[in-house]
Amino acid sequence: MKEDALIKRCQRGDKAAFEQLLGLHYDTIYRFAYRWCGDQHNAQDITQQACMKLARSLMQFEFKSSFTSWLYRLVTNCAKDFYKSPNQFNSREEGVDEYQQNNDDRNDQRLYAQQILEHINTLQEDLKDALILVYGSGLSHGQAAERLNIKESTVSWRVHEARKLLKQTFSTSGFHYDGIDVARGSA
Amino acid sequence: MNDKFIDDLLDQPIPDADENARKIALNAAMSEFSQGIQEPARPIDNKQSIWSYLMSILNNQNTGKVFATVAVAFVAVSVAFMLPEHNEQLDHSVVLPEPVLVPQEEAQANPPASVIGGNEALDDSSSDDEQESDSKDQLERTILAGETNIARQEAEAKRESFSAAEKPQELKQKKASNDAQVVRDRSITKEYKSAPLKNRAAKPAISPNASKVDQSLNAPIHSGFELLEEVVVSGNRVVEGKLVPEQRLDLNEEYAQHEENTIKLTQEEPVSTFSIDVDTASYSLVRNQIMNGYLPAPAAVRSEEIINYFNYDYPLPGSKKQPFEPSITVLDSPWNVGKKLVHIGIKGYDIEKANVPDSNLVFLLDVSGSMSSQNKLPLVKQSINLLLDTLKPTDTVSIVVYAGAAGTVLEPTKVKDKSKILAALQNLNAGGSTAGAQGIDLAYQLAEQNFAKDAVNRIILATDGDFNVGLQNNEALKTLVERKRDKGVFLSVLGFGRNNYQDDMMQTLAQNGNGVAAYIDSLSEAKKVLVDEATSTLFTIAKDVKIQVEFNAATVSEYRLVGYETRHLNREDFNNDKVDAGDIGAGHTVTAIYEITPVGSKGASVDELRYAENKQEKVLLSDSNEYGFLKIRYKLPDGNKSKLIEQAITKKSGEATKDIRFSIAAAGFAQKLKGGKNTGNISYDDIAKLARDNKGDDPFGYRSEFIQLVSMAKIAKP
Repeated sequence: MKEDALIKRCQRGDKAAFEQLLGLHYDTIYRFAYRWCGDQHNAQDITQQACMKLARSLMQFEFKSSFTSWLYRLVTNCAKDFYKSPNQFNSREEGVDEYQQNNDDRNDQRLYAQQILEHINTLQEDLKDALILVYGSGLSHGQAAERLNIKESTVSWRVHEARKLLKQTFSTSGFHYDGIDVARGSA
Repeated sequence: MNDKFIDDLLDQPIPDADENARKIALNAAMSEFSQGIQEPARPIDNKQSIWSYLMSILNNQNTGKVFATVAVAFVAVSVAFMLPEHNEQLDHSVVLPEPVLVPQEEAQANPPASVIGGNEALDDSSSDDEQESDSKDQLERTILAGETNIARQEAEAKRESFSAAEKPQELKQKKASNDAQVVRDRSITKEYKSAPLKNRAAKPAISPNASKVDQSLNAPIHSGFELLEEVVVSGNRVVEGKLVPEQRLDLNEEYAQHEENTIKLTQEEPVSTFSIDVDTASYSLVRNQIMNGYLPAPAAVRSEEIINYFNYDYPLPGSKKQPFEPSITVLDSPWNVGKKLVHIGIKGYDIEKANVPDSNLVFLLDVSGSMSSQNKLPLVKQSINLLLDTLKPTDTVSIVVYAGAAGTVLEPTKVKDKSKILAALQNLNAGGSTAGAQGIDLAYQLAEQNFAKDAVNRIILATDGDFNVGLQNNEALKTLVERKRDKGVFLSVLGFGRNNYQDDMMQTLAQNGNGVAAYIDSLSEAKKVLVDEATSTLFTIAKDVKIQVEFNAATVSEYRLVGYETRHLNREDFNNDKVDAGDIGAGHTVTAIYEITPVGSKGASVDELRYAENKQEKVLLSDSNEYGFLKIRYKLPDGNKSKLIEQAITKKSGEATKDIRFSIAAAGFAQKLKGGKNTGNISYDDIAKLARDNKGDDPFGYRSEFIQLVSMAKIAKP
């Protein structure tokens, strides 16, 4: 596969190849990050961290899973680190008080969203690939099918299955929600 | 309800990322990538010769082929030993080229203290304080143990940062791949690397906190890739017929262009005027570039900064009324037969510990996203940590950061509350774009709020050079810095990181802020600037120091000043106290070298005029014993009126000491790097020999490093 060859070139230290790979996947990484934090500014920062982490750890990619789902794990790890950092400078911009007030319920939602998104990492590989390509990379079922070299209907089924599993997993928690715009919490 | 939440979460529309953010992220990642691939470890002791040895092999085409074969064989042998049943033998029995084994053997001989520390933290579930003192111990050790130890700690730190970055899942993956029958060529190095990590199993259990402390304080100067990987990579590339590395690091960097000083005819222009310069940034940048296998761009080489990087043992002034005294030496030029060098050395007096004034320091730290590489923000933190140890308990430190917005992270705090300062440092993280101008404003506010007349009031800016919001042009920033300087708040600049470094901006800021511009690429460089030379970096003993030399046309037909191109002053500026010039810190040495052609020498570069008027008239002072006359103007740190020092340059001035000869080697090297237009047939070997013969004591190893650098320049790519 073309992408595998590109990654191998990167792993041999080819700068041009890495630049190409970054260009191809920046938006994907950004979308993953955006789903995680639900706001553009933080998503951009997480994306930057993830790009740099990718530069450092691409050597460790062993073609055991699809690159996209490996990347998804990388981004979720970066995103977790981002929120873990105690004195996260970026949040200053909003002004501490306002941030605090708006954020108590928003925080709940975001944490919940993040649990769900992280849970995607534990899904069965084929379901995960399909779900990530469609909801992370923003591909249509048809495009995802092409990428995975399977039938479009199979993609649709896998995406459906993955969603169903996610819903089952989280149905027991007592979380209340009846709005839109999940992570941001402002309708 | 949950179903709807998940649906919304997954179907939520996503706005496009900001184009600028995209650009910044891609640049940062590219720079990270090239560092991982290209950055050779910068060993400080003689391990360096291993790298240059490798480079020299690679450079020679014939042996290159041999080496390629060896490299292939090495890979094959490694593959064989990577197979699971041989894993244990790996530690002892693999016969490999010696250089490759060095880091491992060393790592085994000295288990990283930080790993042990991390485990203890886990076992005792100790508090943050203990971790902190643990890491402080490490730092102290770093300082006490000197250069070689730093090199070792770097090696350890790299190992540590590699292992700390491992996530449990990745470990599992790796273990699985141990059993794999097919070993891909890239994974070889990784397996090899991880094999001796006996206590790997304990790693995942280290609390995130502990590993964080380790990571940030433990000198992870180079990114995750290790020496071992680099060796294999270079093997690969020989096979492909290329030499590492593939791309220059300085492509995006900005250097002010200045013509190298030309030969002047004494009759046409007898007076030479310039401002002194004690910056050293150019040397570190040049070193970094050569260590990467490339010659620096000629514009990046400022000869005077290469020369002044080293400390010379020039005579001190007799009395303290005068902060320094020039010493003049005339000797034969090693570069051109028949020419002579006029060597002017200045050494400022050093402040005694008891008389060191209080410092009011404001650190202005760039924490934008581009600073997150290992050789930037983490190194900034370490550098400040080092500096804290040299400060007095009564000194004040504040920290301002700037990125998406500027903010104060530490209000003015006395150094005796060191833990508070360390905690503030610890919590810094890089992220966001850069709003340098706001940051500068805020830093000046804090400095002024805490201003003490008798203290050193100084802002220390640490950045990789991006100011992309607000006062964007150099001119506006320059004016601001000048205005504040006149109010008594000085500015120094510490540059970090490559690829994006705005050398000309850093120069402008420091020159106009009465400060020093230093480029810091490693912990050892940080130690040089902030610990060994802390007093020079912080305490100005003379400001606006200008040098003017009038040559005697009767004895000197031509002259040429080495370096100081960016410090040129007009003749009339010398006596004008309104014109700003460079400053000398306590204990600083400054060297200026002129190459002159005595009248009648066969070494003249310019032919005599055929139609000149009566040649006899040229002899103005025919029996003069003087080549010229030196004048130096300076102001005391709090003065506004300049004082004058005068001294004749006689034909037999001074005695050429080892230090003087070494400074001439440095001057020769700088000129050679700038194109060697005026250094005749002198070779890098000649320069290295001159430096080696005159190395002297070299207590910190800077001169040995210089000699290594010269030999590496010989084989670096243009």
